[in-house]
Amino acid sequence: MDAANNPPSPAMAEISETSPASASELQKTEPEFDLETMRKTKPGLKRLVLTLTVLLSFLLGLPFLLKSVEIYRSPLPFREIDDLSAAVGSNKLFFPCKFQAVFVDFAGDSFTANDLSISIKSHMQRLTGKDSTSCGACSYNSTISVSLETGSGCFHSDNDLKWKCGALNELNKCEDDEFLDDYLQSLLGDNDVRSNGGKVYSVIVVRRDDEKAVRAVVGKYRHAWIVGRVSEEEAVKKMAEVFVKVFVNGGKEEGSITGEFMPVGADGRVVLSFNLLNADPRDWTYDWEFQEIDDNILAPIIEVLKPLADIRVESQVLYHTPKSSFSYWDDKLGSYIFTTNDLPFFVNSNEWHLDTSVAAGGRSKILHFVVYVPSATECPLLLQLPNGEISMTNGFISPMWGSVVVWNPSACLEDAKLEPRVRQKISHEDLRKIFEVFIGQLRQLFGLKSRSLFGDAGGTLQLLTSERGFTEWELDVLSRQHTCFNLLQCATTLGSLSRLVQSLPRMIIKDEIGKQVKYSLEAAKLALSNVSDGVYDASAVSSRQARSFAEDAFYHPSMMSVSYYSFEHCFAVYSPFFLPVSLHVLLAALREWKRYKQETRKYKTWKVKNL
Amino acid sequence: MSRLKFSILFFLVLFVASESRAEEEKVAELKEEFNEALLLRPLPDRKVLAHFHFHSSAPPTRTYGRHHYLFPKSIYQLVHKFQVREMELSFTQGRWNYERWGGFEPISSSYAKPPGVELWAEFDVPHHQVDDSWKNLTHALSGLFCASINFLEHSTSYSTPQWSFRSFSGKLRYGTLPREAVCTENLTPWLKLLPCRDKAGLSSLMDRPSIYRGYYHSQRLHLKSDEFDTSNMSTGIVLEQTLTVVLQPNTFSEKISQPSWSLSSLFGRKVSGKCSLSHSSNLYVQFEQNLLSKVNELWGKSEASKNEILINESVQNNPLFELSLPPKRVIKEVENLQKEGSILFEFSIDNYDESDPFDLGLKWKLPVVWSCRQAPLRASRFLLGSGNERGAIALSMKSTRSNNIERAGFDEKECWLRVGIFQVVPWYVKVYYHTLEVFLDGELQSTMDNIEKIHVSPSEDKVSPGVMEIVLRLPCSVKTAALTLEFDKGFLHIDEYPPDANQGFDIPSAVVCFGDFLTSMTFDDNSLQNIPILSKLQENTPVISYTEVLLVPLTTPDFSMPYNVITITCTVFALYFGSLLNALRRRAGEEERLLKAKAAKKTGPLTLMLSRLSAKLRGKPWEPPQQSSSTRSSINYKLIVKVALVAGIGVAWHYYFQ
Repeated sequence: MDAANNPPSPAMAEISETSPASASELQKTEPEFDLETMRKTKPGLKRLVLTLTVLLSFLLGLPFLLKSVEIYRSPLPFREIDDLSAAVGSNKLFFPCKFQAVFVDFAGDSFTANDLSISIKSHMQRLTGKDSTSCGACSYNSTISVSLETGSGCFHSDNDLKWKCGALNELNKCEDDEFLDDYLQSLLGDNDVRSNGGKVYSVIVVRRDDEKAVRAVVGKYRHAWIVGRVSEEEAVKKMAEVFVKVFVNGGKEEGSITGEFMPVGADGRVVLSFNLLNADPRDWTYDWEFQEIDDNILAPIIEVLKPLADIRVESQVLYHTPKSSFSYWDDKLGSYIFTTNDLPFFVNSNEWHLDTSVAAGGRSKILHFVVYVPSATECPLLLQLPNGEISMTNGFISPMWGSVVVWNPSACLEDAKLEPRVRQKISHEDLRKIFEVFIGQLRQLFGLKSRSLFGDAGGTLQLLTSERGFTEWELDVLSRQHTCFNLLQCATTLGSLSRLVQSLPRMIIKDEIGKQVKYSLEAAKLALSNVSDGVYDASAVSSRQARSFAEDAFYHPSMMSVSYYSFEHCFAVYSPFFLPVSLHVLLAALREWKRYKQETRKYKTWKVKNL
Repeated sequence: MSRLKFSILFFLVLFVASESRAEEEKVAELKEEFNEALLLRPLPDRKVLAHFHFHSSAPPTRTYGRHHYLFPKSIYQLVHKFQVREMELSFTQGRWNYERWGGFEPISSSYAKPPGVELWAEFDVPHHQVDDSWKNLTHALSGLFCASINFLEHSTSYSTPQWSFRSFSGKLRYGTLPREAVCTENLTPWLKLLPCRDKAGLSSLMDRPSIYRGYYHSQRLHLKSDEFDTSNMSTGIVLEQTLTVVLQPNTFSEKISQPSWSLSSLFGRKVSGKCSLSHSSNLYVQFEQNLLSKVNELWGKSEASKNEILINESVQNNPLFELSLPPKRVIKEVENLQKEGSILFEFSIDNYDESDPFDLGLKWKLPVVWSCRQAPLRASRFLLGSGNERGAIALSMKSTRSNNIERAGFDEKECWLRVGIFQVVPWYVKVYYHTLEVFLDGELQSTMDNIEKIHVSPSEDKVSPGVMEIVLRLPCSVKTAALTLEFDKGFLHIDEYPPDANQGFDIPSAVVCFGDFLTSMTFDDNSLQNIPILSKLQENTPVISYTEVLLVPLTTPDFSMPYNVITITCTVFALYFGSLLNALRRRAGEEERLLKAKAAKKTGPLTLMLSRLSAKLRGKPWEPPQQSSSTRSSINYKLIVKVALVAGIGVAWHYYFQ
């Protein structure tokens, strides 16, 4: 009787075969004992324990399985990446710059040096309030040191930058600008050393009552001077303008290329590829003395731009390279004309195979500089500007790609038939002119002005040009922008890398990537500390490294490969085993548990009844 | 004493003078140069060989600088970046027919290449950097020529020949991709290296459909530089680009005679003037010596006069053929042994332009049959054995009966024929080099007697291919010679199979080199040395031929196998676990009781009928069904119905889809 109600073990199954008859008898004899609701014995625990053990062992085994299918992920410093993006993104990078104003020969003593300093500062803040968007600006927190040289004496504001009074007295006033520039450099040159961090920009106002016109000149170094009959008010206004618009913002106009389109490759390299295109060598073939140009003109510029980018130069001469736009004959001008509307179609990417550079591997940037020699059927070829004038340079730039200059050989002007088989050389003067245009275009590609005049509301400024293409204050502007842009880019790249890595939990991350990220962060930190110290070149170099490492990490081949071990793959491999088995185990455990509870209840009811 | 001094002085003066002259010459040589030429030759099997030859040279950087106006920038950068001393890259489609198109002449030895891509390069870097340079070079070339040359990067796909292939320096690497398809995307970058591309000059003949319709197409780039030599006598970089095509002129003439052709019928284009940058642009039509001897037979004149007649009156009244334009000059090859050499007709395209394009035609007047000069032995290679386990490579060489004559170092007593063989075998074909057997005229010979020199580097699994370099020494009288090597087929990892694994795996061509036989053309005129194509033809090159590419079928797995295995094992495990658990927690007694209770409630009519039926079958009187038996039979019944249903569906399915 008991056997039927006991949880049967395999051995008891034999016995239970015989029991049904006795059970029915039992039902008859004891009507109040209901098999459905009661039982007399305590329910056994054997099966429950068994199923639970199996379930538990599976659960215990799960961590081991997960460990065994784990993929290697190098730990990335996510927190530091976030810190960097916060540091770079939220508050803009401000470089410490120092400004020095010198007033010479101002008779009135209505202003003290400190008053002037405060008024210049307020003017500057008003000017910067208008356009505070540019990356890589100076911070205007530092005071402006003012030196006031009057007839009665020499006054300085409370600052460590001192102007040697009377230095300009011995200077003849009709000296040319270049000489004055160099002379001022010899006076002011040691400012940077004394200023302990940050460059010092100076403006010197010399009051000359005998000159009517006011001349404002910005030198090649880090100073400008204003000579003429100016009142203090005007001088202060003008100074603030020179400081903000020229020295800080690089004399940019609206619509010029901004720092984000700096034509420097992600690895900090630029290849300047110079191409001479002979549209049709059957008419004439021209060659150039590139080696000479390279040594004399390009080498100094490359040297100057070294902190910004690692620049290399290469050249080639190509033949049979017609342009792909049309030009029309203009009788009045006696030449073929192409307009600015044709420019998008001028570059013939089918025939101009400019991009065959083995040197420019990876992510470095190539800038193409093209001298286009038109064929006899389209010579002379001139570029007409939208206002109907003929372009002086006869060339154009395409941001991030490079520039084109059309050079008309003298042969087509003279209408003389040349012997096509003879190789002509572009004359030295012509070549020099072409490369001057190229340097102007390179400046434009870097976002600088290529004209020597800077006009604004308060008159025009004359900008002196350097024989090395870039003046010192321009290079300062460039390296500030460059640092800022590089750090921004680095932070963005690292930020997207960390987001990508966090969104794909099953992606393999090699140690190399971790290392690159670490180096990148280190370089970025170094750049940031250099920025706050005002070391421009070093900060540009380390920001370049930071960006390059970040890009290397992001574009690492192992990251690019699609064959990472995805979760779906893992699921597909293990589900045929774990799905059915876990179903069995779980269901069994559930059932046993239910049954155990039910049987216990039965036993309790029986107990209650019997009591 | 004074005399001695005088003489020393004299010598010094002489020396200085000669030095300065050399200097002058060098200054004169310091010039980039580009030359183009096209060689056309009628072939015995009614086809035409067209061989384009472009030659660019750049003076050394040390004296000239790194800016060029003709030499391609990319090649210059390639040479400097990877310090390439010599390199040859060829893209070939089709196989050179050594029997019909000639096997003993400069073009077949230097310009006939194995199918697919062949690349070899020698570097000027220390030994431990050679492999890195090679890997970088393959990637650069792959980008430059739009081809999968980067597959030669793996150490399993390239080899280092010790002495049999070109160089002894050990800095040479050799690799082939027999299955690389060659098409216009490889030709266009190749043309970009020419200053005029295909816009002007002879390359404007390269009409893509015409040249790819040919029977053989080999585009080759060879560069040689001594930029990194420290000596003063360096010549800079020399780039030689050739395109060798064998075309079938499409004419409707009768079968026997040679088809007449012209440039416009061969290529579909005419030459509209030379490339204005080329130093020389010439077209040559070559007639082989065997053809010329036929001409002479036909001419039927006396021995002495026939050559002169052919040369002097070749254009106007030649009995056999007629050229549509008068040649600029006729170049006669001088052969040392009593045979007459071939003839080259030179045409210059300098004076043609678009209004008057150059179109040369060749018209045959009489049917003529001739044969080409053959290499001493004709090599062919094939596979022996069957099955997916093992096989053998056999290389057989048949004599062409031309080995008794024209041999260098002829010795009456002991006449030996030296044959060099260079063979690269991929690692998954595991060659047993000790099974090398040599058969001469069908008889097995002792191996070591016939091998003069041998170098074997066995393959290493997944690391390096096997390389075999042999110099065989065969008696001159040999008619056939054969080499056999046994191999086992290896297994690859499932990831290592190429996309089309069932097609089979290629064993690259073997290079068979007859080092004693040199092919060159000799011309009287020394001025011809200035024309690159002619100076190339005059170079002494050993006779080289490439064998066929072998296709070895390997066992290929079912590529879905890993997943099948996973699924099956998992299912088995799941079944096992499930049933084990079920068995463990089974309560037999209770189930019985439950079933009984169920059966007591209702007994279906079908069950009754079935139990009756079973009773009848058993031959027992029918009893009202007992609970236990009826349940069992009902279970059986359900099972049977289910099985029958499934079987029925299966059968219906089968029939329906038959």
